[in-house]
Amino acid sequence: MVKGHKISYSHRDFHILKSVDVEVEYGDLLIIVGPNGAGKSTLLNILANEISQNKEEIYFKQKRFKEWSVLDLSKNKAKFSQQYSSEIPLPVKDVVLMGRYPYFDSIPKASDLNAIEETMRDSEVWELKDRDYNTLSGGEKQRVHLARVMAQLKNDIVHKLVLLDEPLNNLDVKHQYRILEQMTSFAKRGNTVVTVLHDLNLAAKFATKVLLMHNGKVAACGKPNEVFTSEIISETYGFPCSILPNPLNNQPIILFGN
Amino acid sequence: MKNKLPIYLSFSFVVLLVLAVLALHLGVYKFSEASLFRLLGSLFDNNSGVSSTDAYIFGKIRMPRVVMAILIGSILAVSGTCLQGVFKNPLATPDLIGVTAGATLMAAIVIVLGAFIRAFIPEFLHFSLISIGAFIGALGSIALVYSISSTDGRTNIVVMLLAGVAISSLGFALVGFMTYLAKDDQLRDLTFWNLGSLGAATWTKNAILLVVMTASYSYLITKGKALNAMMLGEKDAEHLGIRVERIKRMTVLLVALMVGTCVAFSGSIGFVGLIVPYILRLVFKSNYTVILPLSAVWGSILLLGADTISRTLVAPAELPIGILTALMGAPVFIAILIRYKKTM
Repeated sequence: MVKGHKISYSHRDFHILKSVDVEVEYGDLLIIVGPNGAGKSTLLNILANEISQNKEEIYFKQKRFKEWSVLDLSKNKAKFSQQYSSEIPLPVKDVVLMGRYPYFDSIPKASDLNAIEETMRDSEVWELKDRDYNTLSGGEKQRVHLARVMAQLKNDIVHKLVLLDEPLNNLDVKHQYRILEQMTSFAKRGNTVVTVLHDLNLAAKFATKVLLMHNGKVAACGKPNEVFTSEIISETYGFPCSILPNPLNNQPIILFGN
Repeated sequence: MKNKLPIYLSFSFVVLLVLAVLALHLGVYKFSEASLFRLLGSLFDNNSGVSSTDAYIFGKIRMPRVVMAILIGSILAVSGTCLQGVFKNPLATPDLIGVTAGATLMAAIVIVLGAFIRAFIPEFLHFSLISIGAFIGALGSIALVYSISSTDGRTNIVVMLLAGVAISSLGFALVGFMTYLAKDDQLRDLTFWNLGSLGAATWTKNAILLVVMTASYSYLITKGKALNAMMLGEKDAEHLGIRVERIKRMTVLLVALMVGTCVAFSGSIGFVGLIVPYILRLVFKSNYTVILPLSAVWGSILLLGADTISRTLVAPAELPIGILTALMGAPVFIAILIRYKKTM
């Protein structure tokens, strides 16, 4: 699906990423975790083709980004960003409709309207459809953008990629779970999800693969129970932690502090 | 969620048509022939039975002027809406960021120094010298303002407006200097350019305006989706398959062309690009897929209305049209400032 070898990126003289290898397969839900400033968002931006690192190429579905047409790319991959402009003077449904822009010329088709209704119901923002976007709370705005991003990928293409940069900020527990469940089922249909998260327990519960970053390098990568060991985590985060198996399903539970 | 744009557009065209018919009848000279169809017929047929004075006033003076008001109003409003979309701010209009001033400045230089420049340029360019000057002025000032106010693709709107003020004052000073240098007949031209007027309308100018308009609109008018998506942020618009950089560059170039042509033919008529999108935003929020095409029609309505008033209010004299648009524009400017002061 996405393959990047020896990704390096520096801003002026400061190295943000140093020789990072990433590979995700169809059906993977890769969660990128790590302390602040580890380079998680930068890595995600490179995988999303937002910034280019000039040297090593990223292969998305066996092709480099520059071999893709812009429009095709937008139907195969979508990104949820961490920061959205807070001022968009439009009703919610028109913001979500932007996700369908690659699919219609000037007048949205019935399929576009169905797609946005479906993803708005999934994100539980259908009731807000006529509200002014600017009047929403932070968490509601997040869900509106999620509905928009998922509407962008409602099509018949078999393998799609969605990248999310901390999609759970501002969300309550119920919606955090809802979104990760939605992503899990999206990945199970042969698609790929790559997301940056802060909550290690959620990462342990939902990830098929975890990438732990530290100082621009990969500290560990693999299945949740391979990455989430007390040695690796306490060393990476510089904070003591213990890991217990969840009595219900044996997934690791990470407890910080002594 | 039905798309109502065709309905809004048809309604707007009806309003424009009614206003145009009204504007053709109003004026100092009253036609003895009351039928509009027969007057229109006289444009193409010399033996239509319409009196020659009627035919002359209609075909050579009033009709070209009404058409010019429609074209220029539309072009100015669309220029304003496009710039506002690209720079994501309701104050980014050609007048306020100094594009009009840049065009006026170059037009003034060409008017006064034209006699000297003419010797050095190919002959076929002579008659459109002012247009070319105005276009270069518009393009130069927009490029300057943009490069001053933008870093890494992000535009600081306050810097942009202040750069506009700077260019406008430079323009003001140089136009003043040109006035000082100008001979009598050039002076009349200069005053006309400064205040704006549609009085010099001819079919040739209208034809050029129509060409510029058709060429620019064929690219711009469908960019409503792109301008909407750019409200998300430019990176996110690119994820939606929109070529942000290319659209920005094309918009800036075409706006300079459109504003330059308008300034060359009608002088600096201010605020149209501010008023029209502002009013449309009150009704349709910032949905550019709706307000961009609608501003093309409502710009015509506004300018045609203003021009008809300017011709009839103090008849037989004429008010400079720039005074009327400024009278409407300044309150809108203040209203925008109050409304957006928190987000500036």
